[in-house]
Amino acid sequence: MSSRQISRRDVLRLGAAASGSLGVAWATAGCAPSSGGGAGPLQFWQQYAPAPQQDPNLIAQSQWFLDATRRWADAGERPVDMVYIPAYTDPTNTRLTTAFASGDGPDVFLISPGDFLRYYNGGVLTDLTPYLTQEAIDDFYPDALATRTVDGKIYGLPMEQEPLAIFYDVPAFEEAGLAEGDLPTTWDEMLELGRRLTGGQRAGLVLDTTPSYYQNFTFYPWVWQGGGDVVDPDTQRPAIASDAGVQALGLFRDAVLSGASPRTLPAGGDLVGAFTNGYAAMWQTGVWQVEAMRQNAPDHPYGIFRLPAPAGGESVTVLGGWAWVVNNRGRDPESAARFTVEVMGSVSKASIDAAVQWNGVAKGNVPARRSVTEAIGNSGAFESPVLQQFRDEILPTGRGEPRYPPVIYKAVSNAIQNSMLGGADPRRQADTAQAAIESYLRTYEGGTLL
Amino acid sequence: MSAFTVSRTAGRARVGSARTSTPGKAAQERRQRRAAFWFLLPDSLGLLVFVVVPMILAVVLGFFRMDGLGSFEFIGLGNYARMAGDPQFWSSVRITLLYLIGVVPAIFVVGLALALLVQQRIPFVGAIRSALFVPYVISLVVVAMVWEFMLSERTGVVSRLLGALGMNDLAFLGEPSLALGTVVVITVWFQMGYYMVIFLAGLQDIPGEYYEAARIDGANAWQRFRTITLPLLRPTSFFVVVTATVSVITGGLDLVFVLTGGGPAGSTTLLIFYVYEQAFLFGELGYAAAIGSVLVVVLLAWSALMFAVTRGGRFDND
Repeated sequence: MSSRQISRRDVLRLGAAASGSLGVAWATAGCAPSSGGGAGPLQFWQQYAPAPQQDPNLIAQSQWFLDATRRWADAGERPVDMVYIPAYTDPTNTRLTTAFASGDGPDVFLISPGDFLRYYNGGVLTDLTPYLTQEAIDDFYPDALATRTVDGKIYGLPMEQEPLAIFYDVPAFEEAGLAEGDLPTTWDEMLELGRRLTGGQRAGLVLDTTPSYYQNFTFYPWVWQGGGDVVDPDTQRPAIASDAGVQALGLFRDAVLSGASPRTLPAGGDLVGAFTNGYAAMWQTGVWQVEAMRQNAPDHPYGIFRLPAPAGGESVTVLGGWAWVVNNRGRDPESAARFTVEVMGSVSKASIDAAVQWNGVAKGNVPARRSVTEAIGNSGAFESPVLQQFRDEILPTGRGEPRYPPVIYKAVSNAIQNSMLGGADPRRQADTAQAAIESYLRTYEGGTLL
Repeated sequence: MSAFTVSRTAGRARVGSARTSTPGKAAQERRQRRAAFWFLLPDSLGLLVFVVVPMILAVVLGFFRMDGLGSFEFIGLGNYARMAGDPQFWSSVRITLLYLIGVVPAIFVVGLALALLVQQRIPFVGAIRSALFVPYVISLVVVAMVWEFMLSERTGVVSRLLGALGMNDLAFLGEPSLALGTVVVITVWFQMGYYMVIFLAGLQDIPGEYYEAARIDGANAWQRFRTITLPLLRPTSFFVVVTATVSVITGGLDLVFVLTGGGPAGSTTLLIFYVYEQAFLFGELGYAAAIGSVLVVVLLAWSALMFAVTRGGRFDND
């Protein structure tokens, strides 16, 4: 056996061959069907499954999704893979955006109303109406379906409704010598109570302060309570500069300037931490916090009350919630649509039972369908008086979260921020927002603004 | 024959002689060039594919309206015209300039001061150097979250300390007049260790004899610093100013994102945050690419200007 010394030339040849192989592999990978195209299971992007956490409630939610896909595959249908996306609910998460930009979007995904028109106007959502029976459509609460419907066609199926209310910390109220009878019903009472409960490390009334879709979401009901709107749904003209809009901006401004509300969120925005550590007394937030309290501070006493109304106004809240939508540029939109409708929008016993499990057990929030509400009754998670209050008292005052495109969101966001934290004149801010929206709507072509 | 002719002829003769006398040398040079080519090829391909091509694509994208969902429309200079009339773009430019003016001089002064400090023979100097450098190796998101808690209104440790001094209810991240300054301080804190190390390397390149001679001549500490240290740190200073400027203008996104989300009232919406917002929050990829292209051009112009003014940080007699 002869031994040969390896020359530099050999090393270079080897390196070139390796580089070439890598290049070929890379090019082949680039040409091969990616996760978003070709054969194989469909992909469902969401924030629940498979759960990377150990928390039993989160595992239960994850299992619900995995069970849904298993049932679908067991029925001989095209399998669906659950793809967990970290921080999916953060509107600034770029994963979905970049996937669609590279033509590699998922087959089924969850979106909030704030994102709906962006995807609808981009022409990527599948019309689910042909797959739904009229009975199933009628089973949904109108407000839950309205913001996912364009020209009578349904493009998304909500899995829940998430109303906002004011959560209050019972120990904070007791320390201040307050009882349930002192809960505010008007804006003035709410600000007065906020000031009274502010002190030491405690913030009296927490309104969201970070510029985001979420802050706008929490702001809209205050406009509606005075009979106003950001964009009039009937005329499709901007309406934020109405008295109701100015009044709502003034409320946020006065809350901060009077000292009733902090300029930043206590406990990094964590309601549970804020209540259990005595950092906040009242907080405008949503039904999902019931689950958070149940998980993390089951023995801490708290309550909720409906959003107070301005003088002469009515209490109105906003209903958020995630909906399943189907990418019409996915690998098999027809199969994805049937899967979505079977799990979320069928009147079959299996579909209703699944929704009962989701809303009444795994997640514990307000259903989007009447049949599910009736089936749950006061069982499971709805043994909680707070959830019952959400369902019976607060939900009826709700209106679906608006689906405004980014330009309108930004105009409103600037007005809120400048009024609330910049101390600017609400009238002037409302006029500026109105002008920006007016200018945008002159050339806007897309789904109706609700 | 003139001296000039003689010289040139001699030169030619020398070249000719070299060529003819070492015929293997040229072949060796060719082999070395080939080797260099193959060694550089993988990196060059990586740079081409992941840097150069995306840069060109980004410039091209700036001439389109693109929603990120497959819709393309050529609009020529439309995005640039929009930029010129976009008050939020100009507001973010103004805020970025303020941020730059706040951070770069501070980083320069603090980095140099720390380098001078840890250059001394003091106890535990190694531990002190490491401690000062540690913030730089921590994730910026973690840095932002820790500071957010420390500065938290009413409950943060900073607020409590200031509260004890009678300064209650200061919302460092919620007050428009304080937020940008707070972000500047955190940025300087985060980056000072890195620039300390750069300055330290520059200081250690200065021969000790110069200081000894200056001491013998009776120069005090300030005179030694002004006449020896600062002038001989010129290449290092050039590097620090250029890289700090680039990192400040193109960085800061994570910090602002976590600390303030661009608020309060838009007071921390840096240009890079605005680009991010346009691209990924609003789906305005073409507009974001156009702003990014302008940013690159501005940074290139700034770097070229710095090179021209300081001769690339070289000494006058180089």
